[in-house]
Amino acid sequence: MQQYDRPSIRSVLSPQPSDTIVNVSGFVKRYKKDVAVDGVDLEIRKGEIYGLIGPDGSGKSSLMKAIVGVLTYEGGSIDVFGTRVDSERAAEQIKPKIGFLPQGLGLNLYPELSVEENIDFFAHLRLVPDEDLAERKARLLAMTRLERFRDRPMKNLSGGMKQKLGLICALIHEPDLAVLDEPTTGVDPVSRRDFWSILAELLEEKGMTALISTAYMDEAERFHRLSFFSGGKVLASGVPAEIRALVPGSIVTCEAHPQLTAIARLKTRFRQVESLGSLLRVFIDTTDESEAQSQIEALLGDLIPSSFRVEEAGLEDVFVALRLQKSESKEVSDVIADSATVHDRDGLAIEAEGLIRDFGSFRAVDHVSFRVKQGEVFGLLGANGAGKTTLIKMLNGILSPTGGAGLVAGVDMRMATGSIKERIGYMSQAFSLYLDLTVEENIRLFAGIYGLDKRSMSQRFEWIVTMAGLSGYESSLTDSLPMGVRQRLALGCALVHSPRVLFLDEPTSGVDPIGRRHFWEILTRLAREGNVAILITTHYMSEAEHCDNLALMYAGRIVAEGSPEAMKRQVEEVGGRLVEVVVDQPRRALMHLLQAGFHGTALFGTTLHVFCRDPLRDKARACEGLEGRGVRVISVKERPLSLEDVFVYRVMALERAEPSTKQEAAA
Amino acid sequence: MNLRRVTAVATKEWKETVRDRLFLLMSFLLPPLWMVVFGYGLVLDVEHVPFAVLDRDQSSLSRDYLYRFMESRYFDYRGSVYDERDIDRLLGDTAIRMAIVVPERFAEQLMAGSSVTVQTLLDGTFPLHADTLKGYVIAINRAFTQELLTDFLARTRGLVPEEARRFVEPVSLETRYLYNQEVRSTWSMVPALIMFALMVASPLLTALGVVREKETGSIYNIYSATVSKTEFLIGKLVPYFVISMVNVAVLWAIAVWFFGVPFKGSFTAFFLASLLFILCSTGIGLLISLLVRTQMAALIITIIIAMVPTILFSGLLVPVSSLSLGAQVQAHLFPAMYYTDVVRGSFLKGLGLETMWTDLFALAGFAVGLRLVAYGLFTKRPKA
Repeated sequence: MQQYDRPSIRSVLSPQPSDTIVNVSGFVKRYKKDVAVDGVDLEIRKGEIYGLIGPDGSGKSSLMKAIVGVLTYEGGSIDVFGTRVDSERAAEQIKPKIGFLPQGLGLNLYPELSVEENIDFFAHLRLVPDEDLAERKARLLAMTRLERFRDRPMKNLSGGMKQKLGLICALIHEPDLAVLDEPTTGVDPVSRRDFWSILAELLEEKGMTALISTAYMDEAERFHRLSFFSGGKVLASGVPAEIRALVPGSIVTCEAHPQLTAIARLKTRFRQVESLGSLLRVFIDTTDESEAQSQIEALLGDLIPSSFRVEEAGLEDVFVALRLQKSESKEVSDVIADSATVHDRDGLAIEAEGLIRDFGSFRAVDHVSFRVKQGEVFGLLGANGAGKTTLIKMLNGILSPTGGAGLVAGVDMRMATGSIKERIGYMSQAFSLYLDLTVEENIRLFAGIYGLDKRSMSQRFEWIVTMAGLSGYESSLTDSLPMGVRQRLALGCALVHSPRVLFLDEPTSGVDPIGRRHFWEILTRLAREGNVAILITTHYMSEAEHCDNLALMYAGRIVAEGSPEAMKRQVEEVGGRLVEVVVDQPRRALMHLLQAGFHGTALFGTTLHVFCRDPLRDKARACEGLEGRGVRVISVKERPLSLEDVFVYRVMALERAEPSTKQEAAA
Repeated sequence: MNLRRVTAVATKEWKETVRDRLFLLMSFLLPPLWMVVFGYGLVLDVEHVPFAVLDRDQSSLSRDYLYRFMESRYFDYRGSVYDERDIDRLLGDTAIRMAIVVPERFAEQLMAGSSVTVQTLLDGTFPLHADTLKGYVIAINRAFTQELLTDFLARTRGLVPEEARRFVEPVSLETRYLYNQEVRSTWSMVPALIMFALMVASPLLTALGVVREKETGSIYNIYSATVSKTEFLIGKLVPYFVISMVNVAVLWAIAVWFFGVPFKGSFTAFFLASLLFILCSTGIGLLISLLVRTQMAALIITIIIAMVPTILFSGLLVPVSSLSLGAQVQAHLFPAMYYTDVVRGSFLKGLGLETMWTDLFALAGFAVGLRLVAYGLFTKRPKA
């Protein structure tokens, strides 16, 4: 039996009450009639990294802007550095001590100015003395490895580089409090990790305090303390361990067949049941492993579970559990089997054979081959610019390939774009819905575009409303729908003509975790029951776990392929096991471990993730080394790899192998 | 106020404007382009009007009569027709704008001492044009009649032609056009176009420059920094002010050297007025930028606000004094009118500060007023 108690981080940080830097009490922000934030309390102490986590539109940005004094508010109070921020005059007083990075990757920078000119502008605006500026600039550029791009216009930087430049600009005057609004959104996992380690180093070096927001639940572990935002309210606040303690429980993963029956049985008791490829994932409100197993077995009855595993619940699970506790959310309606879309089970839905696409001298897609079977969910992962969208466009018949061939739903995509379109559905990131039309009008419009007759139109309408859980919303304007509902409507519209193959291009950006889970539930059922082949791209690595098979794209090529489990196994074989080490001086420990040759060691809040080839020997070596340097090791334990670990490991390995590639791609 | 911060904002703004191709074109190409295009296009002189004749008389006198029209620089002879229906067709196609019908027995009747009627058909589509045209026709017709009369008197009374002329025209009229001796509309139009180009280009540039920052979110760098409102507004406007002043020089040069408009007045007055006017026009742009959120909205509103009053109420096309009372009041509410006065005064009338100080004073008032309103509207801690 394993216990998941962590040492309290309070004891590590030992904050004093007088250390309070920001105190928010009963904060209310309204935009005309819409209430964006409704009564939020928050306290940020000196030296900590405080996180605001929540989906788009949950009120994080409003609160951050009000704290830095660039937004008025309607209720409550905000004190920053002991100053009550309630007027423009008061706000001016705190601004010298604050660095603010607004939301939007690189949007606050000046595209026509070079990297150096951008930094200089921010420094001059803050009256940083020239000698300090030169010294800080040199150090920060070296730290972020932007040194060689000093003279490059900001508009020609890659996403990750823009993000790092934004950070330098926000911190060039060495503020006491850094407020960063979603600094990692829209950046690939490798750049995100890089960003976090740079940020942690900077904050620690200068003793800065930071308030950071993120939409990625898996980044929650990076914070000392955090608040979960949802619908303008705080669901929970505290150190990660405290928040976990609010909903004690664990995650059970196992395999059971048939999967849909197993899900139905588990759902009678548990509210968080998901399918990850062939695996089932259940949140159970007990931390006792044997008890969890017996509960699951009792529910499954004659379906015997295999590959049983119990893990600590992630913060995302806790968030969802909290949300479910607070709101008596209506139960997800069952997807009815779609008789119209039952196709032969073993047929190949997508077959790509050496696909190439050149744009001038740039090869966006380079000899890509893969196969997707009917009823399979296939995930395409990769950083921005890796060639995912180009590939999807070629398979859709929107873009003609430079070389290679592709069969989609049995049709050669080069020959018959017309007949392809009848057999495929496409849902883009931007949701191509008409916001001024109601839900029903949108569905009927798409049905009309695909030429459905009256009878099949009303059948389809019924099916879509039930499938996507849209009942009650039929006559609502699309514009007024929550993101999650809008996304399901877009999915319904893409399915209006019963396609056999469905393409989804980053469909879940900006949707809250519950909405995302609901969406994935629908996708899984579509694949399992409707036998639809689904090809999806996403930048949420936690979502990729839902796919049956994955392909990782890098610089136009597929560099790794397989089921999520297989991909993790591959990395574990080459790179070793992941060990989580909790220490009292994380920065010092990180430096030591990197020096000692533990590459890929990363800092998460106060814990370190270390790759160990030989778990037993390496673990001992690492711990001895740390203790020898006066670092107290509080706990050490193995941790299953996440797909993000896999992604980062793979891409880093490739970058080490060909160091010039990334820079060229960025150029 | 800290000069270093002002310089930081101004330098950044300048670099962005010069490096962004669209902004660069808008800054330096658009105003001269407008000047040249409108300078040619907005010529209101009625000249080279195409016309045809139907000469039913075919005598030497009728030819002599028609020849006077053909010779005039105001008319372009396009040929003779022999059927009235052809005239209808040609006028309908706008192949000609006027037709002259000389009746049968034109010479015979004149010689017999009776009067004849010549018919002129004018295209009345553009009333102003037709009026001018009518004036030309009357003048040519009168000259011909007077000559006939003079000849007659000379012949019958045995007078020298000089004396005969005095008889025919006892009161002679001497007209001298002041300021624009050749009454060329280019001379009156081109200086006013300096105002037009500045009035549209500089608010547009300023408004887009500020709203661009609002749209991307980089305005939050300003909101969250310690730069003061005054420092930001000055720094932001300096580049646009410099660009507009460069344009004043360029437009002046085009007016004088390209269109050949004489500059007779005082450089000081013109320079001062231009400076104040640019403060007004950038101020209008700034004001608009504080009220809207997107570049698209800024573009549309600036064009409406800058174009409509400028074309209608500035004296560009119609003198303010000949507008209706209501329109005159409106004209005084926009700075464009005062600057047009100064520009025309300096170019054509040779006026100096001593006569135009009221206009300058009004412009200064607008410049200060617009700044104050903008300062009041701009907040570093907005509601949304």
